[in-house]
Formats: sequence, structure tokens, C-alpha cells
Amino acid sequence: MIVAIVAAITFALIHIAPGDPFSAVMDNQNVNETVRQTLRAQYGLDRPLPEQFVRYVNSLAHGQLGWSFSHERPVLEVLGSALPNTLLLMGVALVGSFALGILIALIQVARRGSIIDYTLSAISLFFFSMPDFWLAILTLLAFAYWLPVFPVGGAVDPVMHESMGLGGRFLDRLWHLALPALTLMLLASAVVARYQRAALLDVLPADYIRTARLKGLTEREILRRHALRNALLPIISLVGLSFPALLTGAFFVEKIFAWPGMGYAVINAIGTRDYLLVVGGVIIGSIMVTLGSLLSDLLYAWADPRLRSH
Amino acid sequence: MAAMRYAGLLCALAMCGCVGTESSSAKSSGGTLAISTGGDPDVLIPSLVQSVQGSQITDMIYDRLADIGDSLNIVSDKGFTPRLADHWTWGADSLSIAFHINPKAKWHDGVPVRSTDVRFTVASAKDSSLGSPVRPVITNIDSVSSPDSMTAVYWFHARSPQQFYDAVYQLSIMPEHVWKGIPPASWRASDAAKNPVGSGQYRFVRWIPRAAVELVADTANYRGAPKLNRLIWSIAPDFQTALTRLLTGETDFIEQLRPENIAEVAKHPELRTRQNHALQYSFTQFNLRDPANSARPHPIFGNRELRRALTMATDRVKLVRSVYDTLALPALGPTVRAYQTTDPTLPQIPFDLPRARQILDSLGWRVMSSDGMRARNGRPLQFTLSVPNSSKVRVQMAVVVQEQLRQAGVKVDVEQLDFPVLVEKERKRAFDAAIGQWNTQPSPGAVRGSWGTGGSRAASGNNYGSYENPVFDAYVDSALSSFDPATRKALFTKAYETIIQDAPAIWLAEPIQTVAYHSRLLLATMRPDAWWIHIPEWWIPADKRIPRDNAPPSATPPPAQPAGQKTP
Repeated sequence: MIVAIVAAITFALIHIAPGDPFSAVMDNQNVNETVRQTLRAQYGLDRPLPEQFVRYVNSLAHGQLGWSFSHERPVLEVLGSALPNTLLLMGVALVGSFALGILIALIQVARRGSIIDYTLSAISLFFFSMPDFWLAILTLLAFAYWLPVFPVGGAVDPVMHESMGLGGRFLDRLWHLALPALTLMLLASAVVARYQRAALLDVLPADYIRTARLKGLTEREILRRHALRNALLPIISLVGLSFPALLTGAFFVEKIFAWPGMGYAVINAIGTRDYLLVVGGVIIGSIMVTLGSLLSDLLYAWADPRLRSH
Repeated sequence: MAAMRYAGLLCALAMCGCVGTESSSAKSSGGTLAISTGGDPDVLIPSLVQSVQGSQITDMIYDRLADIGDSLNIVSDKGFTPRLADHWTWGADSLSIAFHINPKAKWHDGVPVRSTDVRFTVASAKDSSLGSPVRPVITNIDSVSSPDSMTAVYWFHARSPQQFYDAVYQLSIMPEHVWKGIPPASWRASDAAKNPVGSGQYRFVRWIPRAAVELVADTANYRGAPKLNRLIWSIAPDFQTALTRLLTGETDFIEQLRPENIAEVAKHPELRTRQNHALQYSFTQFNLRDPANSARPHPIFGNRELRRALTMATDRVKLVRSVYDTLALPALGPTVRAYQTTDPTLPQIPFDLPRARQILDSLGWRVMSSDGMRARNGRPLQFTLSVPNSSKVRVQMAVVVQEQLRQAGVKVDVEQLDFPVLVEKERKRAFDAAIGQWNTQPSPGAVRGSWGTGGSRAASGNNYGSYENPVFDAYVDSALSSFDPATRKALFTKAYETIIQDAPAIWLAEPIQTVAYHSRLLLATMRPDAWWIHIPEWWIPADKRIPRDNAPPSATPPPAQPAGQKTP
């Protein structure tokens, strides 16, 4: 239901926006309105909006997301080729950011009140407040230009990739994934670290922690075995909440790093008024967010025996 | 530093045993040209292509019958060089031209090029259901006949100085056997559009949307093999990313530097820059009709003297310097310096701020408020200047114009718009003023549509400012129908003088195209309308090649699409 409402609203909004997919052809001195109208008719954009919507719903019912004007191929095909790249980027960033965020929080709590705690808090806050596109540009300049250890962009080396062996292709892919994934990871890990630190500090005064201390466990063991497990529950909720944030972050990061994912395709589609690609992107995005929430609920139920018993 | 990174990658690849080796045949010709570009081509069909990337790629894959010379002469056939046609014969009445197809010419799928391909190409471009942008500019071509398999005869409605140019420049020839079974309205969506089969010196290999387009040399081409083995357009939508790819050695060439990049590029001794005239000019266009009621003149810009005063208040030299540094010249009018018909000494309305203030005073627009802004009968001298937010230089120019006119007491509100939104406003004549730019063709004739009465009155016209002056129209029409170069130039000069003095726009800048490239690349000449056209003559000496120059193409070119290929 949520996905259907989102799709309908997006369909209406993008069509109401001034201009159309063929506005850009008017930038050519030789092109006149007649050419534009011919193109509009070819794609059915001369039909009334309700009729276009009914046709679109009909194509959705047949498992199609319509036709992309800018890519001249089905939207499903465009997004189908882009989605694996976005999922790969988001997946790596998600796992990496949670691992890094939890590690930072553990260090902070273990050294709470020390200079290390304050420094890590400041660094987290720095990345937490930094716009994603800005960090992407800084990362690009830092690690692709000033210290050129990673490629500038793309998912693979367009020149050499096809001539590489299987291992080479794998390395090439990883090499290109590093910077965009690092950017997203830094952004998301700052959030995770702050949440996790707060959650850990919440559980430390609990009775079972005091009992563990009385049993003679070291602070490290207490944190790892007892505090962390219990403090993970709120972080699991964050998995679901991170999906939309990572997805929107990926949109800008993909553009800066020329990463051929869904965000890159949809941002271009907004500029070119590629109506159905925008709507298709929003549908896929809302499905991903919904699945993220579901995953979060499932993980929560799995991690908390109290919820399972209900 | 870039070498360090490549060394790292190559070590890794070597461990995987996957680095290509230089073949013995790669000593004289060979190499890969990687071009940084900002987007995908729109389509790879010559009669439909609009984007600059699409033009670059289709010009490599397809051939015209003849190609315009570097001087961009468009009168008669002087300077044109044979391509698919190895020679041509004019009809006695000059209403026909017979093009004789080079018997060695073949499509990339091995099928010989025939005159029926030429006839098919022109007929399809004239088909209204295709929606070709070329259709409005080939109206003088009546038809094409093919009396024999190697001769295509163009028939014209009227004798015209640029009929040869119209016949050969606007259209590259397409293979009939690939396209004839596909309805024109379905061409864009067809499989054939994604696997183009041409006759040019490069063959299509692959197009990975949002990543790269790859072409490979057609070694058996009737014009001979090109010097570079492989061309790759490496796509990055963010300009900084595209530039950084050049700076780090990932690519060899970028087609348009911005002023702020010049210093950065100069820090890299391995990079070179080259400047080239381009066919572009930008302007602040005034809407001469009232946006609220097009039957009335615009309350501000309807007055010629006021428009002249605004032009006088604009220091165009300073504006161009501050926005473009040395990468542009002040525009001369609705023309460019690369045209043979343009007199570079065209008289301009001079920058004269005191005189501009006097004119505004005399028109009743007087300074009424403490902020120095002018008004008349309670109406402030104020307007909105629309500009596309996608163009950084146009936004910068708008801000400079705003400041310069403020000094004359004119309040300008700069409105940044999404490009489709701006086009919509211009199309509906629902704007006050806008910063526009035309990318023109070798013929100066497009000025008739963009600034002439026809383009103003037709609902489909692109004279968005509705400037109309029959004297200007007459000079342009006379110039376009003149065969004598000197007369042609004199008449165009009169036309330009007329429109400059009428000031329907403030002529702002004529950008100079500045490309940057790796020094291992040896370039040929660059044509103002298409810097890429001589890429088949570009060259990388064997001792300067790097591993990517010797990497084999990604895949063998795809087989031809049979006629009647099913479309998605």
C-alpha cells in the first residue's frame, strides 16, 4: 500500500513539474516545436495525464515499470542493471559502518572520559554533520588525486577491465568500490557510533553488569560479553532506519564517483524529466526501505527473546 | 603519482596473470584514446542524435557522402572532401547533384554501401513520424533517386548557395538493410540503435550506460585504418570527477576546460591544452512582448532606446574577463568569428555608463529612491533575469549583469531555473529576460529562425524574444541567397549591424573551446564545429604507449541486425 501511494504521488508530481523529456531538444537552433510534438506523440505524452496514469498502472500490473525516454529501454532493464551496483555499495557500506561504528563506541566507552573518548566523539560529530556530497568530493580529492591510491570513479576500469582475468576483474571491482563505500561508511558509522555509545552507557549501570564486575571479570570482558549484547538491540532498529539514509546518501555519492547505480540513474532522470524512470526509482527505493524496516523487525525479534515469546 | 597508482594496479593484475602484451603489429599504429565526458550519448542514430557525445560517436561510426573542410566554407562544394562519395557531378541546371559511391565502401557487417542506402537515409529523415531534428533544415531537398546501385542523385526544389552543404553535412548515411523493416517511430527503441552498423573508420563495440562507450578501429575500412586502435568515452556526470580522471592519467582527453581549471592543468607537465574557435555565443535576451499579453509590447523592453541603454550599461569586456578569464571573447552579435561571413570589426554599442544613465533619465526612468534604483510613474525599473542552474558560467554572467545594471539604477532579480523549466518559460514567452546560448552549425542561416520574424511569429519558432525587423530579415535572406562570398559577407554585416543597433539582446560571450590532453597524444587539426572529426588521424608514438594502449578490445563487434529486427 505504501509503495502504491508513493508511486501515485511521484507520478503526479513529476508530470506536474514544468518541462518534459524533450525540452532539451529545444536547445538546438534547428529544432522547432513540431519536432518536439512528434517526439511527445511517439511516447504517448500528448495523451491526457489520467490516461497516461491508467496506462502506467496497466503496465505495472503486467510486471513492467514503463519505458525510459533517456535510456531508450525498459525502466526495469535500466534499474535492473543499476540496482546490483547500488546494493553492493550499500551492503558494503552498511556492514562496514556498523562494524566500525560499534568498534568506535566500544573504544569510547572503555576509555570514557579520556582524551580518546572526546577525540573520537569530535570525529564522529564531524562526519555526522558533514554533507554526503562534500565528503565524497573530499575523499575523491584526497585518495584519488592528492594521494592517488584509488581510481577516480566508475565501477570498473573501462579500458582494462575486459582484458583482465577473473582475479584481476575481482580486484578491479574492489579497487573501484573502495572510495564510494568508504565515504558512505564514514557517514553512517558516525551515526552508529553515537547511538552505540549511548546504548552502552545506558546498560553499564545495570545490575547484571555490577554482578559481572563482582565476579571479577575484566572491564573488556564485561563490555564484550555482557554490555555489548544487550546494547545491540537499539542498534538493530538503526539497521532499518539506515536504509533510507544510505539510499539517499548513495544517490549523491554515486554521482560524484560516477558509480553506475540506481541513484546516479534517478538523479539524471529527474534532470531530463525521464518520468517513468523517476517513478520506477522511487518504487524500487520505497520497496528497499520497506524491506529494510521488515529486516530490522525480524532481526529485533531474533535478538530479543522477550519479543519472540510474544 | 598517477604512475604509482597504475604500477600498483598492474602488479596486482600481473599476479593474476592477466596483463595484455604488446603485439608486434602495434609498432606503427595503435593506442587507446580515453576521453573524459560528462554523460551518455542520447542516441546513436545519426538522423536523431542531439547530444554532443552522440555526435562524436556517430561521426566515428558513420560517414557522410562528403565532409566539410576545416575552413567551414558552405557555398557550393569548395573545400568539401570525398567520403562515401568518391566524386560528384552537378546537374546542368544545378538543381541536382549526382553522388558516385566509392565502390570499396562497405558497412561494418560486410554489406557493400549502395545508392539505395543514401535514398533511404534522406527519405527516412524527411519522414515526419521519425521526429528528426534534421528535417527542418533539409527542406530544399526534394528527393533522392538511385539510377544505378552506385549513383545517388539529390534533387532540389531551388538552386541555393548552400545546397551541397545541405545535402552532405546534415546526414550521415545509414544502412537500409539494417533499418528498413523498423517503423521510424520505433527507431530509438530498436535493438539496431544499440548496436549501430556504420561505414566509418571505427566500429561500435559496446555501450555500458552511465559508464563507457567503446569503439574499435575498422582495419578494413575503405578509407584505410585509423591510427588509434580504440576509442573509449569514459562517462562521469560530475565535471570535477571527469577532470580528475584526466589529471590522474585515467583518461587522455577532456573537451572543455573551465577557467578555474587552467592553473591546475598547468601543474601537470604531461598535459597540454589547445584552444579552438567554437560555434557558440551567449546573450541576455530581452522579451520584447509583454509576458502577460503578447499582443502588447513589453513594458520595459518594448522600447529600443531603453534596450540600447541597458547594453551601454554593460561592460562586456569586463564581464567576459571575470567569468571566462581568457577562455572567451566578447560576442559580436548573433554570430561567431569562425564564420567566413563574420566581420570581426562589427561596430558595437559601446560601454558608456554615463550615457546610459542619461538615456534612462530622458526616457523618464529616474532615480526615485535612496537605493539608487530608477522608476517611472511609480513603476520601478526592475525585471527578472532567468538562467539555467545547470550552467555555472551563465549563472556567473547573470550575477555580473545584475551588478553592472545596478550601477545604472536598474534592479535585476536573478532567477535560477532547472533547464526544462527555463525552456518551457521561453517557449511560452513567459519571461522578462534570459541568459541564453546557441550552439550553431557551420551555416549562419540558423539566425533566421532564432532572431528573424518567422521564428517569432510561428508558434513553433525559437525566436523567444520576439524580435522583429523586416530590414534584418531582408538582409539575412539576401545574404543566404548570394553566391558571391564578398556580397554574402557584406549583406550579413548589414544584417548584424541592424540587429546590434536594435539591441534585442546584450551579446555577451563567444567561448573559446579549450581542450586538455596528455602529451603522448599527437593531435591533428580541430574543426570549430566538431573537434573530434579528425580523431582517425590522431596518433600515439609507439615509445609513448602505456599498458592500456595495448589492451585488446572488450569484445568483437556485434553482428549486423537483420532487416525487420524485432523492437522491444
